[in-house]
Amino acid sequence: MRAYLSAFVLQGRIGLRYRIAVAAGLVAQLWFGAITLMAYASVYHHAPDAHAPLTLRQAMTYTWLQQSLFRLLPIGCLPSVGDAARTGAIVYDLLRPVDMWAWWLSSSLAWLVGAAVPRAILLAAIAGPLAALLGLEAWSLAPPVSMTAAILALVSFGLGALISATIVMWWNVLTARTLSPLGANAIAVPLSVLLSGMLLPLPLYPPWAQTLLLLQPFAGITDIPIRLYLGVAIPGGAGTAIVIQIVWLAVLTLFGRAWMRRTVDRLEVQGA
Amino acid sequence: MLDGLVLYRRMAAASIAAQLRYPGTFVLQAAGNFVTTLLSFFGLWSLFHRFGSLGGWDIGMVAVLYGLVNVAFSVAETLGRGFEIFGGEFVKTGNFDRLLLRPRSTLLLLLGHELRLRPVGRFLQGAFVLAAGLHLSPHVGWATVWLIPWAVAGGAALFLGILIGQAALCFLTIEGLEVVNILTYGGVEAGQYPLPMFGRWLRRFLTWAVPIAGICYYPTLVMVRHADPLGMPMWFGAVSPALGFVFLGVMVWAWGRGVAGYVSSGS
Repeated sequence: MRAYLSAFVLQGRIGLRYRIAVAAGLVAQLWFGAITLMAYASVYHHAPDAHAPLTLRQAMTYTWLQQSLFRLLPIGCLPSVGDAARTGAIVYDLLRPVDMWAWWLSSSLAWLVGAAVPRAILLAAIAGPLAALLGLEAWSLAPPVSMTAAILALVSFGLGALISATIVMWWNVLTARTLSPLGANAIAVPLSVLLSGMLLPLPLYPPWAQTLLLLQPFAGITDIPIRLYLGVAIPGGAGTAIVIQIVWLAVLTLFGRAWMRRTVDRLEVQGA
Repeated sequence: MLDGLVLYRRMAAASIAAQLRYPGTFVLQAAGNFVTTLLSFFGLWSLFHRFGSLGGWDIGMVAVLYGLVNVAFSVAETLGRGFEIFGGEFVKTGNFDRLLLRPRSTLLLLLGHELRLRPVGRFLQGAFVLAAGLHLSPHVGWATVWLIPWAVAGGAALFLGILIGQAALCFLTIEGLEVVNILTYGGVEAGQYPLPMFGRWLRRFLTWAVPIAGICYYPTLVMVRHADPLGMPMWFGAVSPALGFVFLGVMVWAWGRGVAGYVSSGS
């Protein structure tokens, strides 16, 4: 257990090192958030009777939460695994007397959480209380609808981070298999940006796609927690939402582990 | 001058040959580029599906905007790769010193550093959406025939200017800062929406500071013969792509200042 904990702490510290990157990311997120919000405001004002599943205020809060948690999305394999696969250093990971899945998973989770949490807190502070203080209340990040919603959302965000780290594990195994991170990253970005609701809130896609969108694993990362936070109705209620997340976590872990075993059994190592 | 063109053609040919050495990788990356950009249009389309219009604008108009900005950006991405990686690969490592020793303009050498083929995915997808948008718009005028190349050229100049400005900034920051992506990718994002959807400060910024509206929104109004709800006269759209070249000129000037003040770094 201590080994996995130290892998987590180490990777988390690496993430906290880059303060300038955090500031730069923050500016970019605020910019993209502002453009999206103005577009939504205009769209909603021109179609007051469109009966959208989210109110404008909810769509804005959804966008801010999505922007602040951008780094929680599984947009590629763990950089150190990518390097290890390319240089052949992956053999050292194979030699460690630890469960490789848990070892990489701890690092992947810390990579996501270490990058996402400081950014999320900063951006939420700016888009929430600070924006309200500056008189931009109508554009700001709204607080959770109730105490229950807040607690449910927190649990759900935790599960979301685990699902995301598990999906990163799939990219890691794919990278180990193809010997290059390029392929995994090429499919990871479009999949996570579209299916997690980063591009457009999932509830705003056409009605026929709704069930499908809710039942795919990427919804569990940020979309389901945000719906709980906003108090948006989910078919079957909050319980179903959490169950969807747990089921995906179990399925992805089970099949991921099996795939990893098969990959490791006939792993080719390249490099010097 | 002519001699510079010959040199650029040889560098470009070498770069293309190098990329085609790995045909599989090239096809995958171009296809990935195509799919990723197409997905972002799916997001816009879903908004239409849900709300009937985008702030009162029909899908034809928005598709033209989207196509123009993506085609223009893909041209700049193809040409300006050397500037995109300038901070990390030239300034931080000190490799820029070697470029300075060569008896040619640094701009030419960096343009020739790589002629990237991957953005062909974004280009094709943008061109496809642009054609569909013109097909869907009811009043497309004849001016479109010459406005498309003019607007694309202005847009390519504008985005190339942003990339050059981004590289010039590296003389101060040593490393490349991702924050300038708000002008490249963020610019493409902003250019996709009709200008009146934005607040006044952003409209002014996008018209006069970084004139993305000049290469995208205003020419599109002329093409689909739609009056500007904010009262800008129609002729403005026919000349506004020139703003992209003005921006490029300013950035080239800034680049010259940066090179003049450069005092090496790296090992």
